[in-house]
Amino acid sequence: MNFPTKSRSVLAALMLAAFSGTGAFAADTITVPSEAAVPVAEVPADAIIVNIEKMKYDQPELKVKTGDTVYWINKEVMPHNVAFKKGVVGDEPFKGEMLKKDQAYSITFNEAGSYEYHCTPHPFMRATVIVE
Amino acid sequence: MALSRRATIKDTRLLGLCATSFLLATGPIMVQAQESGAAEPVTATATAAADGQTEGQREAAEGARQLAAGEADEPIILNAPKPDARRVYVQDPAHFAAITQQFVIDGSTGQVLGMTDGGFLPQPVTAEDGSFFAQASTVFSRIARGTRTDYIEVFDPETFLPTADIELPKDARFLVGTYQWMNALTPDNKTFLFYQFSPAPSVGVVDLENQQFARMLDVPDCYHIFPASPTVFYMNCRDGSLARVDFSGEEPQVTNTEVFHTEEELLINHPAYSMRVGRLVWPTYTGKIFQMDLTAEAAKFREPIEALTEAERAEGWRPGGWQQTAYHRQSDRIFLLVDQRDEWRHKTASRFVVVLNAATGERLAKFEMGHEIDSINVSQDAEPLLYGLSSGTQTLHVYDAGSGEELRSVNQLGRGPQVLLTHDMES
Repeated sequence: MNFPTKSRSVLAALMLAAFSGTGAFAADTITVPSEAAVPVAEVPADAIIVNIEKMKYDQPELKVKTGDTVYWINKEVMPHNVAFKKGVVGDEPFKGEMLKKDQAYSITFNEAGSYEYHCTPHPFMRATVIVE
Repeated sequence: MALSRRATIKDTRLLGLCATSFLLATGPIMVQAQESGAAEPVTATATAAADGQTEGQREAAEGARQLAAGEADEPIILNAPKPDARRVYVQDPAHFAAITQQFVIDGSTGQVLGMTDGGFLPQPVTAEDGSFFAQASTVFSRIARGTRTDYIEVFDPETFLPTADIELPKDARFLVGTYQWMNALTPDNKTFLFYQFSPAPSVGVVDLENQQFARMLDVPDCYHIFPASPTVFYMNCRDGSLARVDFSGEEPQVTNTEVFHTEEELLINHPAYSMRVGRLVWPTYTGKIFQMDLTAEAAKFREPIEALTEAERAEGWRPGGWQQTAYHRQSDRIFLLVDQRDEWRHKTASRFVVVLNAATGERLAKFEMGHEIDSINVSQDAEPLLYGLSSGTQTLHVYDAGSGEELRSVNQLGRGPQVLLTHDMES
C-alpha cells in the first residue's frame, strides 16, 4: 500500500550512505513511522491528534512545525484513512491504511508546506495540514 | 486513434437454408459478420408478427423461396436501418464482468439490429437526434488485471463502426453500477462529460469534435451530470442542493441552488431527465417525486408530487428496481416502477408501473407488467412504447405505453441487462 514512502525511504537511506561524507541528501516530504494501523493506546500522551468522527476530520486546518508527527485516530466504526493526491507528498498519490474504530495512524511532516488530504472511500472528507 | 474493432451486425442473409430447422426452433439469432466492403440495410420485418409468423419462420420461408428460385446465397455485412424514436439500446453490465455487451433493438418489431462490445462497466450515451451513440469504457491489458485504459468510443448508428476512440487520463472513470446520468452528452452533441469519484469529485470533458480529451473540472461533493446547454450542467450534491456548473471559462463556475430535500428523503440513483426540455424527474425511496426545470441560467423547482397514494404507502407499496423512472416529454407523463416491498429492498424487481400526469401529479394508470421488471424507459414518439427490462430473465418486454398491453418481447439479452436508452427523435 505504501510503496512510494517505502521506496523513498530506501532511496533516502542509499543516498545517505552515498553522501554521508558530505551530509547532502534529500529528505522525504513525509515519513510514516508505522505503515500498519496501531491501537490508540500506543499514541503518546502529548501527541498532536486529529480525531475522525461523524464522517469528518475534527481539525479541517491543522498547523504544525516541521518535523512534527500528527496522529489520526478513528473514533467510529466506519473505516477511514488519510490519503494525498498525486503531487502533494510526492509524484505518486499516497494512500494510508484504513483505520477501524480506535485505531491510529501517524505521519511525520519533514518539509514546510500545505498538505491537503482526504479519505479514500469518502472523497468528501477533506482537511489540510499546514507545516511551518 | 485505433479503430480495430468491428461491431456485430445481424446478417440475416448469412443464414442459409441449412439453418432452417435451427431457426424454427430458436427464432432470431446473432451471427458474427465477416469483414466486407458490402453493406445493405437490414430488411424490414414488421410484417412478420402481423401474419402470425415469428421472425425465424419468416426468414426460413424466405430462404426456402430463394433456394427454390435458384437464387445464390451471397453473404455480406448489413447496415442497421436509420435510427428512429423506437430504437432502444439495452446495456448489459453482466454482473460486473470484465467485458460486456450492448444490444440495439427495434422496439417496433422486437428485432435485434446489432450489438456493440464494451469493457468493464461501460457507460452508454445516445445522441438525441440519432446521429451517433457512444460509450465510456475500461479495458485492462490482461483481461481483468494489468494496465488499465479508460476511453470513449463513438459509433456510427447504421454501420456500428467506431468513428472515434479517445483515450482518457489514467483511472479517470468512476467504476460503478451503470447509472444513466453519471455520463452525458451536451445538447449540441459536441462534448462527452463523465464523472470521476476518486480521488476527488470531478467531471471529465471530452471534445468529440476534435476527438480528444480536454480537461477535468473540479466540482463540489456532487453526483450525476445533467447538461442544460453546451457549457452548463447540473449535479446533485450531498448537502441536498443542485450545483450549476458553467465550464465556458478557464475555471468552472459553480453555484448551488437551495436545498430541496431533507436528509431523510433519499433520492434514487436513476432519475429521468429529458435534455430536450430540461426536465429532471427524481423520485425518492417512498415515491415522492421532485421535478426541476433546468435551463442554462437556473434550476426551477416544481411542487413535489406523490406517485403512490396514502393507502398504497400504508400497504407497503414502494418504488424499486434499477432504472425505475421514465419521462415522456410530449405528453408530460411520468412512469415509475413500483411494487409492495420492504423498505430496504429498493433494488429488487417490480411488477407494476404507475403512470402520472407530471403537471398535476394525477394518477393516469397502474399497469400490471406480468413480469419481474428491473428497468423501464419509453420511446419519445407520439404513441410511445413502454420498455420493461428483466435482468433476471435477460428479456426486454415491449408494451403499449397508453394501455400497458404487452406487444412483444426479446430474450437472450446477455447475462444481466440493466439499462435502457433511446433517442429523443420523432419518427
